[in-house]
Amino acid sequence: MGLEYVKIAPGFEKYMPRDYVDLVKMGQFGRQVDVMDLGQFKELVEDHPMCAGCYMAYFIRIFYASLPNPEDTIVLGTAGCARLALSQAAVPFIYGNYGDTNAVASGLKRALTIRFPDKHKDVVVIAGDGGLMDIGFGMTMHSWFRREKFTTIMVDNEVYGNTGGQESGMSPKGVQLKMAPKGKQFDKINAVELAKVSGCVYVARISPTNPKRIAKVIRRAILAARHFGPTFIHAYTSCNIEYSIPTREVLADARNREKKDFKFYEWMTDEVKEYFEEMEKKEVKA
Amino acid sequence: MYFVAKVKEDECAKYNCKQCVLFCPEPNCINFLEKKSTAWVWPDKCKGCEICVYVCSDLLKRNCIEMVMVQAGD
Ligand SMILES: Cc1ncc(C[n+]2csc(CCOP(=O)(O)OP(=O)(O)O)c2C)c(N)n1
Ligand code: SF4
Ligand code: SF4
Ligand code: SF4
Ligand SMILES: [Mg+2]
Repeated sequence: MGLEYVKIAPGFEKYMPRDYVDLVKMGQFGRQVDVMDLGQFKELVEDHPMCAGCYMAYFIRIFYASLPNPEDTIVLGTAGCARLALSQAAVPFIYGNYGDTNAVASGLKRALTIRFPDKHKDVVVIAGDGGLMDIGFGMTMHSWFRREKFTTIMVDNEVYGNTGGQESGMSPKGVQLKMAPKGKQFDKINAVELAKVSGCVYVARISPTNPKRIAKVIRRAILAARHFGPTFIHAYTSCNIEYSIPTREVLADARNREKKDFKFYEWMTDEVKEYFEEMEKKEVKA
Repeated sequence: MYFVAKVKEDECAKYNCKQCVLFCPEPNCINFLEKKSTAWVWPDKCKGCEICVYVCSDLLKRNCIEMVMVQAGD
């Protein structure tokens, strides 16, 4: 990783696949793209096998377009649907064992800080509700207790999508799933509040209805993690398969949930707030 | 045979809009051609979910996207 690593060596351009040349010439490396310019630059993520109309796939698309520094980023994922797309992007991807993402990310971030003391190397975990709040719960919480400086993004489809519809701690109470035939017996875990009391310095909850806002939240979560401590994004990313949402209605569903239990919410420590205020003042001047 | 989205480019060009591009789940699937001011779909990448149709027809009432049947290799 690093900009030098991405460039095509002189003389080799004509042998490189078209997709790669596009990535270097019309992609995101070495410059900051605006998410509103999607469709006019080559995106970091490529064709992948996630289902038609999957809004987890959509969120991941926006995620890659929002990275402040893709050439200095490492993405960590695990078993679950998200990794099907995360593994098809031009950003280094590490597959952590299911449940282990936040332990692997902790070690990785610490090692990168020692190896590159003069640079920011961003580490971002993207994993499912099962991966982070059930099976990886201990690892997730302890990375926050230890104030590890990386970003955790939970792509919450409220089910174990990849293994065919088991309930998770994030499934809403009462919901019937293929493998929760009696209906979920317990409340949805309040992940955002857990993150706040466990040491995260920036926390957001978002439904994917507004790409500009998603991009802002992702950038903020990554920048705050560089300087202050763990950051967490709880994103609603519906599974149209397990929740039987007609694909044409997927965005309507996201808008609907935003009005109910996925209202946009953003919280940060005073220190982080000051940092963004300073940064935004400078941006206005420039 | 499968369904893909197709932009009616002459219609779309009237609006200088980009909303479908911003909500398609697939990367570089609907793109935007600035000089013609129109969205266009790369059929090989389209999975036929119709989210773009929801945006263009149901939300914006512009009806510039239709679903068409294509053969593999078209
Ligand atoms: C240690 C371990 N336990 C169980 C599994 C099986 N497994 C693979 S994906 C998955 C559930 C995925 O659910 P979630 O994390 O919510 O991701 P989603 O597929 O819903 O995006 C499970 C249980 C595994 N791969 N490793
Ligand atoms: S199973 Fe659900 S979450 Fe997984 S790719 Fe398909 S729609 Fe998306
Ligand atoms: S939403 Fe409709 S009018 Fe807008 S860019 Fe897409 S096709 Fe054109
Ligand atoms: S049908 Fe779905 S995949 Fe195809 S262009 Fe429209 S939104 Fe994108
Ligand atoms: Mg899940």
